[in-house]
Amino acid sequence: MGKKRKHTETEAAAIEETAIERPKRTLLGFKDGSTEENKETSVVTFRNKEKVLVTCSRRISYRYRHLMLNLVSLLPHCKKDNKVESKDSKGATLNELVELKSCSSCLFFECRKGKDLYLWMAKCPNGPSVKFLVNAVHTMEELKLTGNHLKGSRPILTFSSNFDKQPHWKLLKEMFIQIFGTPKDHRKSKPFYDHVIVFSILDDHVWFRNYQISCPHNGATQKIDRGDLEKMTLVEVGPRFCLNPIKIFGGSFGGPTLYENPFYVAPNQIRSLEKKQKAGKYAKKVKAKTRRKIHQLSNPMEVDEFADMWKE
Amino acid sequence: MMVADELAMMNPENEDFDPETESESEDEEGDQQVVKLSEPSKTAVYNKDGLLERLADISWPDDLDWTHRLSINREEQEEVDVNDDLAREHSFYTQGLEGIRQAYVNFQSTGEPFLRPSDYYAEMVKSDTHMEKVKGRLLAEKRRIEESEERRKARDNKKLAKDVQAQKMKERTKQKKQEIESVKKWRKQRQQSGFDKEDAGGLDLAFNGGEANKPYQRSNKKRPGVSPGDRSGGKATFGGKGKGFDKKRKSREFKDSKFGFGGRKGLKKQNTADTTNDFGGFHKGDRSAKNNKRVKR
Repeated sequence: MGKKRKHTETEAAAIEETAIERPKRTLLGFKDGSTEENKETSVVTFRNKEKVLVTCSRRISYRYRHLMLNLVSLLPHCKKDNKVESKDSKGATLNELVELKSCSSCLFFECRKGKDLYLWMAKCPNGPSVKFLVNAVHTMEELKLTGNHLKGSRPILTFSSNFDKQPHWKLLKEMFIQIFGTPKDHRKSKPFYDHVIVFSILDDHVWFRNYQISCPHNGATQKIDRGDLEKMTLVEVGPRFCLNPIKIFGGSFGGPTLYENPFYVAPNQIRSLEKKQKAGKYAKKVKAKTRRKIHQLSNPMEVDEFADMWKE
Repeated sequence: MMVADELAMMNPENEDFDPETESESEDEEGDQQVVKLSEPSKTAVYNKDGLLERLADISWPDDLDWTHRLSINREEQEEVDVNDDLAREHSFYTQGLEGIRQAYVNFQSTGEPFLRPSDYYAEMVKSDTHMEKVKGRLLAEKRRIEESEERRKARDNKKLAKDVQAQKMKERTKQKKQEIESVKKWRKQRQQSGFDKEDAGGLDLAFNGGEANKPYQRSNKKRPGVSPGDRSGGKATFGGKGKGFDKKRKSREFKDSKFGFGGRKGLKKQNTADTTNDFGGFHKGDRSAKNNKRVKR
């Protein structure tokens, strides 16, 4: 391609407006067609050119790194990049990096203290970004997850009903569709559909599951009747994790805060509280001792009149 | 910027959440039970208009073909307890299943192939070695279950066998008694009907007569092929061999029966009253002394 075309998620109306000037930059596809036709096709053909940059912070633990690699294997339209230093200014560097790799969105796994995993999901040039806390991670390597599916087959994304109830969930849903959905006719994708990804909101968390579709059919016919639909089963492939949204920002890796989880407690705080509770143990013991002493002093025992009865 | 976020989170309200929830967060693994604030913090930002605006910015055109999105929404959903793992996973599973049913119907209406043909091989997400491991684990589990099942069955059988054995013994004694009884009856009848005493004596075999009441004695008869000390009831020498070496076998048998083979030597070598009184092979005096000396030297 001669020039990089701008991001395709601009709306149809916008394309219509700019379509008149298109013929000027005809290098490849616009040579022979008339302007009218170009306008037609550009409106009709929407091409999803989503490309996701997947990277992680330094000092990520192996488990979380495996989770990242699992996601990389699930997303044929992604680019994996080197680890990035997780500094305060990482937003700027990441934005640059994404632009450099000509990606349109980014998944950034940030590991702190070797135990807390945060996932940044961002639409890159100027779209919103979300920061999640990742819980309950199970990677694909676990032997309990017995399914398997084609590498690069396009997933069917299913969403629970409560994704449409609130604006922030709506936004998240759209981002999930764009980032986790493999673009149609992507060159690395396979033409068959044999896995389904489940996004479900439960307890204000987004739960991610990936299942293989095992369908009793003979591959020759592409027909499925009712019985086959009934007999279909799912086998979990993994990975599985649970995302707790913390914040949604207006820009990519920054910008105005649009949403803040009102129930969120940082894992650091949880740990410090726990520690505080444990720290009180000794103080409590000492307190109890002194209290007992005071009590004993204030209520002296009566003198026992039979104490030296058997002494003589 | 991140630090600012963290600081923003640490508003004073976070201090007072109830002790029950915080005690739940023990370790990393138990992070399914997630700590939450008991009540929503009031300072939290929620810019609905901004969110919707951003959504409008990024969203794809509305009239887009479904095959681009491949997204399916679940219509209705019942409430599920988060901490009930089984119910939760079941809910996810049904969501996925309903989703693909709908999706497959949609695919079928487009008419393009969507099912993977059985002869379509391509790289999978999990490698073959990994799947081998998975299979091995499944098999091992299956085997373990089967084994434990078998053990349990054997245990039950053992219990049952005891009962069965007891029952059998009872039956046997009963039968024996009955038989003896019937024979006695028969004899009485015979006596009453007036048969010869001699004949009766001749028939007076094991029952009531001498032998049945005597303790068991070993018969002195030489049984062919059975050594005197053989306790196996003559089965030891008939090892179930073929007929190929009959001739050799016969002579061997004879020798064995004559000189003895196998079995315990103890009984043969013990002194009895007869052997102690028997001085047949005893030589007096010099010879034995000489021999002894020779041995000593």
